[in-house]
Amino acid sequence: MGQAFRKLFDSFFGNSEMRVVMLGLDAAGKTTILYKLHIGEVLSTVPTIGFNVEKVQYKNVEFTVWDVGGQEKLRPLWRHYFNNTDGLIYVVDSLDRERIGKAKQEFQAIIKDPFMLNAVILVFANKQDMKGAMTPMEVCQGLGLYDLKNRKWHIQGTCALKGDGLYEGLDWLANTLKELKATGYSSVGPSSF
Amino acid sequence: MSIQQPNTDAKNGSGGSGSCLYDLLCADPSTNWNCHQRDGYTSSSGPQGRLKNLLRQSGNGICADCGSSDPKWVSLSLGVFICIKCSGVHRSLGVHISKVLSVNLDEWTDEQVDTLVHMGGNDAVNLKYEASIPDHLRKPKPDSSIEERSDYIRRKYELQQFLFSDEMMSCPYPYPGFCSAFEKKHSEKHTGGHRIHGLGQAFRNSWRRKESEHKTTKKSNSLAGMIEFVGLIKVNVVRGTNLAVRDIVTSDPYVILSLGQQSVKTRVIKNNLNPVWNEQLMLSIPETIPPLKMLVYDKDTFKPDDFMGDAEIDIQPLVSAAQASENSSIREPMQLGSWVASKDNTLVRDGIITFVDGKVKQEISLRLQNVEKGTLDIELECVPLTQ
Repeated sequence: MGQAFRKLFDSFFGNSEMRVVMLGLDAAGKTTILYKLHIGEVLSTVPTIGFNVEKVQYKNVEFTVWDVGGQEKLRPLWRHYFNNTDGLIYVVDSLDRERIGKAKQEFQAIIKDPFMLNAVILVFANKQDMKGAMTPMEVCQGLGLYDLKNRKWHIQGTCALKGDGLYEGLDWLANTLKELKATGYSSVGPSSF
Repeated sequence: MSIQQPNTDAKNGSGGSGSCLYDLLCADPSTNWNCHQRDGYTSSSGPQGRLKNLLRQSGNGICADCGSSDPKWVSLSLGVFICIKCSGVHRSLGVHISKVLSVNLDEWTDEQVDTLVHMGGNDAVNLKYEASIPDHLRKPKPDSSIEERSDYIRRKYELQQFLFSDEMMSCPYPYPGFCSAFEKKHSEKHTGGHRIHGLGQAFRNSWRRKESEHKTTKKSNSLAGMIEFVGLIKVNVVRGTNLAVRDIVTSDPYVILSLGQQSVKTRVIKNNLNPVWNEQLMLSIPETIPPLKMLVYDKDTFKPDDFMGDAEIDIQPLVSAAQASENSSIREPMQLGSWVASKDNTLVRDGIITFVDGKVKQEISLRLQNVEKGTLDIELECVPLTQ
């Protein structure tokens, strides 16, 4: 009965679903972010060999978030999660200046994939609490975000351990999705491909 | 809870027609993952080979921090081979302290291996960082909790409490103030490394208490984030046949797949008792392999969805076959095993495990249980991921 009521409620109040894939180099903080959002706690994590997937309910949106392992030889698997994806969350370890070039290279490859052309892009410049971390501005430059044409993107400084910035990011995703839906946007990839 | 997976049908999939994960990985020039492992993985030339040789050195066969055998992870900046659980703690320290790489899942350069060789391996590094462990502290064991590991690893590398030097004799004095001052100095240095910031003795106590509180509150989720996956299973939900009627004369069926904590679902096919989904879904395979569960439901708009039967498969034989074939050099197609149909199980016909084109697959046709009628055809493909 409860479920039946919720269904009715959802159909009247415009609750929507959003499918999000969360990527980034290894040790950027993807799994920590996923569980901070899912259960509100900081869990101890091990490197993700494979992927985690959880639902995150926030405001009127039910986000389904895939968190895929970031080790070098797991990155070719990322493409498997591109189809039918509304949004990309790209997580960067802001302390890891040495690998920002590598982070850019992987980022550019993802967003240029034909199946990701319609996906909105949210960048989390994570680990902002660490001394010496790159600012969101620096991460923005490092990834080449300013050069993006015709893409909806947003960068957010975050600290997954405290939860800082995470919901601000989801707010942006939810609002952007609603705007796009209002203008007749479809999450399905290019049909000619 | 059910979760929908991106439609990874081969025709629409990212790899183009007829693609599979294996092709995808082999065709991608940025990796030589599976192919690499099959063909020249054990050769001792090249950085990966040199790394393997280094692993065989005495002392490197066990985790430098907890003693687990066969460590598969490396802290490049500290020069130690560690297990996956300790690698998780190392990563939480930040790259300025520990830069973690995987022996098998990262591409190594000669310079990186040189760095590791130069640092002398687990024994040499531990001589330095574990020169003077105080009596009241015990080094973690392979089965130690994550809290114990975390505490020890932070003291060892971040606070460097066990270095042998006059200044840092790891507090031989029974005055709390001495240690507090020491920890204060260092915890201020890296406040960001941990979520609870505090000083000295108070820092230690509150941290312990917080951890134990966490244990009780997050019990149901205690495994999340810590699951060691051994691979991926790709499930092609092919079709349902002669399914049960749940609306007036027909049904709107969809399938939920679940493996351990993860679950995904297919799209709904309206008004069809013989639906063809042909939809590929992926699930991560945890180390202790649970059965793959399939639940068929009828989608309703204004009331809870109706149950249309379920089935369960033991995927252990498939995973074992895939892991065995990963290490084998045989490339010819062959039959690796089978799950024989009988009155006692739910199979319509034998589920044969085959090895074709480098892929380990199993086609299965199942009678749905707890329902009046219906069968489900699925194809499984296992992609082992070596840690």
